[in-house]
Amino acid sequence: MKYREFLKDKILQIVLLMFAVITIEIFLLAYRVDNFIRIYIFISIMGMYLVGLLIEYLKKKKFYKNITVTLDELQEKYLITEIINTPDFIEGKIFKEIVEQIDKSMHENVNKYKYLSKDYKEYIELWIHEVKTPIATSRMIIENNKNEVTKSIEEELDKLENYIEQALFYARSNNVEKDYYIKKSNLKDIVNECIKKNKNELIQNKIQIDTKKLGVEAVNTDAKWIVFILNQIIQNSIKYKSTKIKIYSEIGKENIKLYVKDNGVGIKENEIKRVFEKGFTGTNGRIINKKSTGIGLYLSKKLCDKLGVAIKVMSNEGVTVKLVFPNNSFNEVLQN
Amino acid sequence: MSKKILVVEDDEKLRSELKIFLNNNGYDVEILENFDNAIKEIIRINPDLLLLDINLPKINGQYVCKEVRKNSSLPIIIITSRDNEIDELLSINYGADHYITKPFNVQILLAKIASLLKRADYSINQEVVDCGQFKLNISKSLVIKGDKKIELTKNEFKILRCLISSRDKIVSREDIMKDLWDSESFIDDNTLTVNITRLRNKLEELGIKELLETKRGQGYILRREML
Repeated sequence: MKYREFLKDKILQIVLLMFAVITIEIFLLAYRVDNFIRIYIFISIMGMYLVGLLIEYLKKKKFYKNITVTLDELQEKYLITEIINTPDFIEGKIFKEIVEQIDKSMHENVNKYKYLSKDYKEYIELWIHEVKTPIATSRMIIENNKNEVTKSIEEELDKLENYIEQALFYARSNNVEKDYYIKKSNLKDIVNECIKKNKNELIQNKIQIDTKKLGVEAVNTDAKWIVFILNQIIQNSIKYKSTKIKIYSEIGKENIKLYVKDNGVGIKENEIKRVFEKGFTGTNGRIINKKSTGIGLYLSKKLCDKLGVAIKVMSNEGVTVKLVFPNNSFNEVLQN
Repeated sequence: MSKKILVVEDDEKLRSELKIFLNNNGYDVEILENFDNAIKEIIRINPDLLLLDINLPKINGQYVCKEVRKNSSLPIIIITSRDNEIDELLSINYGADHYITKPFNVQILLAKIASLLKRADYSINQEVVDCGQFKLNISKSLVIKGDKKIELTKNEFKILRCLISSRDKIVSREDIMKDLWDSESFIDDNTLTVNITRLRNKLEELGIKELLETKRGQGYILRREML
C-alpha cells in the first residue's frame, strides 16, 4: 500500500474537510476574528485530521504488508486465515470473516471430491481383487485341461492380467495417500519375479534373457511396485520386437542402478523426451504396435516419483531403461 | 500314503479345480464347504497342509490362521487376492508359512506345497527316487545306475525331472523352458539344445541309451518302458 494510493482513496474526505474549513475561515474573516484564532483553528482541524490519517495509514500498511509477505511465503495459500492476526479495523475484520467463510466452503468442496476419488479408488481395488479369483480359477481349469486351445486362452489371460494390474496401479498412482510399503528387498528377486511373470510371452517370442551382470543388491523400496514398473518395461521390450534383453546392475556411490537393455526398434531421438507423457505412443509405437496405449511408461514415471526412484529412458540401438535407487545409508540412518 | 491337503476357499469353482489339480499331483484333498465352524473343522480334519483364503464369508482367514496356529504347527499357505504388503506381513505374523496372491502360478504353488510337506515330515526320505533302470539322488543331482554314478548340472537335472514327471507324454521344448524359468534359469532355445545333448551324453556314459526320444517339431518324450 503506497502513501499516494492511500491519499487517493481519502481524497473525497480531504476535499470536503478543506471545503468546510475554508467556509469557516471565510465566516471568521467576515466577523473580523483575530488572525491568531483563525490560524489556530485552521491548523488544529487540518493538523489533527492529517495525524489521524497518518496513524490509520501506518496501521493498515503494517497489516497488509504482513499479509502479502506471508502469502508469498506460504505454499498452501488457502491457509492464510489461520496464520494472520485479526486486524483491529472494521473493514479488515469483515474481510477476514468473509475469507474464512470462503475457505471453509472451498474445503468442504475439496473434501467432497477427495472422498469421491477415494471411494472410486477403493471400488477399483475391490473390483480388481474380485476379478482375480475368476482369473485364478480359469488358470486352474487351463492347468487341468492342457491343450492347444487352453494354451491360447492362457496367453490372453496373461494380457488381461497385465491390463488389470495397470488399472490397479493407475488408481494407486493418483492417490494422495501413501500406498506403498518400503522394506529391504533383493533386486535380483524382484527382477526374477518379473521375468517369471512374463515367461510365456518371452519364451514364445524367443527372447534371450541375460542376467549375468545382475547382482544381489539390497534396495529399500516397495518390491511390488518395482515389479510392476519393470513389468511395463519388459512388456515394451516384447512389444517392440526385441530378441535379447539384458538386465544388469551397478553399485554407485550413493545409489544402486538397474539397467534393462533391449535390442528392439528403439525410440526416435526427437521423441525420447516425450515417452513419459500420458498417451504418447511415438512413431514406432503407432507403426509396429497398434495397441500401444501410452500408459505404461507414464505410470512407471509417476510411481517412480512417489517411491523416490529415478527413471531414465535412452535409445541407441534398442532401448535402455535405467532405474536409480537411492542408497541405503540414508534409509538405514532413518531406521536406526 | 499320500498327504492330505485341506482347501478353505469360498469360490466353489476354484476349490473344485484346485482339488482336481492337487489330486492329479498325488495329494488327497478335502474341501471345507461351510465356514461357520471353520477353526473346529480344520482341527477335526487334521490335514497335513492347509490352503487358506483370507476373504471368507463370516470369518477372516487371518483370524483362522492365528487360531489354528495356537494349537497346531501344521503348514499353512495363504492364497488370496489381496496383494498388499500389510496383509502379507500380518498373515506371516499370524503364523502362515507362505503367502501366495491370486492369480497364482500353479507350479510355484506345487513347489511350495512340496517343500513345506517335506520340511514338516522328516521321516519320509525323498532324497533318492527310484526310476527303475536308474536312481536319482535329488539333493546331490546324481544319476545312479548300479555302482556307477554321474553328476548332472542344475539345468540337466531339472530337464530330466521334468521329463520323468510327465513320462509317456510329449513335453514341448517350451514347456521344458517354462519349467526351468520357474526356477530362475532363464535359458534360451540354443542353451536348451546344448543341455539336452549333454544330458543324453551323460546318460549314455552310464549305459542308459535312447531314453529321451525326440519328437520332431513337438518336443521330447520319455517312455515308461524305457525306465
